[in-house]
Amino acid sequence: MESIYALWYRDVLRFWRDRARLLGSFAMPFMFLIIFGSGMSGAMKSLISGPGASSALSGFNYVQFMFPGIIGMTILTTSIFSALSVVQDREFGYLREILVSPASRFSVAIGKVLGGSTVAFIQGLLMFVFVPFIGIRLNLTMLVELIPVMFLVAFTLSSVGLLIASSIKTSAGFQMVVQVLVFPMLFLSGALFPLAGMPLWMNFLVKINPLTYAVDMFKKIILKVSTMNPALKQALGLNLTVFNHTVTIWNELLFIALLALVFITLATVSFGRVE
Amino acid sequence: MSNVIEVNDLRKKYGDFEAVKGISFDVQEGEIFGFLGPNGAGKTTAIKMLCTMLKPTGGTARVSGHDVIREKNEVRKSIGIIFQENTLDEKLTANENLMLHCRFYNVPRSERESRIQEVLEIVELEDRRHKIVETFSGGMKRRLEIARGLIHYPKVLFLDEPTVGLDPQTRVHIWEYILRLKKKAGITMFLTTHYMDEAEISDRIAIIDQGRIIALDTPDHMRNDVGGDIVELVTVDNQAAREEIVTKYGKDAGEAEGILTFRVEKGNEFLSRFIKDFETPIKSINLRRPTLNDVFLKLTGRQIRDESISASDLAKQRMHNRMR
Repeated sequence: MESIYALWYRDVLRFWRDRARLLGSFAMPFMFLIIFGSGMSGAMKSLISGPGASSALSGFNYVQFMFPGIIGMTILTTSIFSALSVVQDREFGYLREILVSPASRFSVAIGKVLGGSTVAFIQGLLMFVFVPFIGIRLNLTMLVELIPVMFLVAFTLSSVGLLIASSIKTSAGFQMVVQVLVFPMLFLSGALFPLAGMPLWMNFLVKINPLTYAVDMFKKIILKVSTMNPALKQALGLNLTVFNHTVTIWNELLFIALLALVFITLATVSFGRVE
Repeated sequence: MSNVIEVNDLRKKYGDFEAVKGISFDVQEGEIFGFLGPNGAGKTTAIKMLCTMLKPTGGTARVSGHDVIREKNEVRKSIGIIFQENTLDEKLTANENLMLHCRFYNVPRSERESRIQEVLEIVELEDRRHKIVETFSGGMKRRLEIARGLIHYPKVLFLDEPTVGLDPQTRVHIWEYILRLKKKAGITMFLTTHYMDEAEISDRIAIIDQGRIIALDTPDHMRNDVGGDIVELVTVDNQAAREEIVTKYGKDAGEAEGILTFRVEKGNEFLSRFIKDFETPIKSINLRRPTLNDVFLKLTGRQIRDESISASDLAKQRMHNRMR
């Protein structure tokens, strides 16, 4: 138990000391949300709610639509990149200090994943500073729902990161793999555009992408999808179905939690083989 | 005295290459036991197996009564390790590094504060306690690692080339700390080094070469086995001098870096006669006790390679000073 706490504390402490990283974490979301989002919003609006479209679609706001996706993106990149610290620990030697201690491999893996997910969770929460500028209204209930969901997503993605990190020897190699993984996951998740009218192959990739369901949960909560106009919901691809079954938030929670279990187990096993 | 480390026919094979070819030895409680050998002799592989970081491919090893394969965790609890390379978290302070270590090793909460203070005092770093490790010098980082290795009161402290990459002055300091530690805590230490002079502080030494232990004894016994004294000689014509030594004294002098060396009994008496009788003009002459390098030379016919200061460099320096 103590070693889990120790590893978690170390990651959080290092994050807190690294102010540059803290500030830098706003750069990408800012770029996407404010610059890319504002730039695209006119075009997106005319695409979705152009002439001839029903009046129900006029309520569309691209920047607001993108906001849950940006939270997903932030959690994804931070979670996976915090596993980079494992690779760096290997390069700089600290991993030795951890691995020759009596701490079990399982507690090392859990400690690392909890550290990474806490940092990713905090970064995700920091995205809420954009809320007043994009006209989204958040209430307490939404926040109470969002917090556990965000943490669970961060935990799952951190486990994925750890699994990758446990089998890669250099930072450069890790960053390569991450690039190859993060961008497809992001683009195939519906974080940046509505999941509607996609080609069949893309639809398939979207449905097997865990981030799709994570982002969809954020959308369901933040965009109040349950009270949304059905036509708008359809146009924005918010009716996620798998084998004609409409996916509920509980399905998604269960799926992400199961993935967490699978990946943390794999990561522990993979970590145990590190000598 | 009981044995803290018991090693029996320990082996490690990487594919076709056997890095450790069946070594056996015991280390007694409170002893400083040294592994001496050239780079690549298998020292680090052996120490890694004893520290449970590598799985042996044959033989057995017990550390403080626990098997290194079957009782990994028990072994890990009872040992402290100073690695060859730096393993501190340099973004954290000394105190934070030590505190993390306490947590990994389950040091009782109430004792942490006093133990951190205690180990920092041993290595004289109390005043740097709350400074970020990044700002430390190489020697200070080493000392902090030694402090960290001690904080959970291990039965055995493993030191793998603890002074590698440090300047000679810092090296001397590090050994002073280690010796002080032995006096104070009576802790058993297992160290590897390829520096001859450092190995001398050990109570017993195993000389390891190409994966095998080729000698195991106290440094004194080893030197006595070489016997007599070593004459180091530089002349205007080393070739002629060499022949003269063979004909007059029946000794085959070795030559390395322009210095002739040969072994004689009762060096003091020999030297005065030698200087009177020797015909080739002598530039400098030196008489010394055999070192562990001579032991290694005698056993293997090779010198232990030493990148920074080799025994012969030291000898040359001594002679150089004498000639001035």
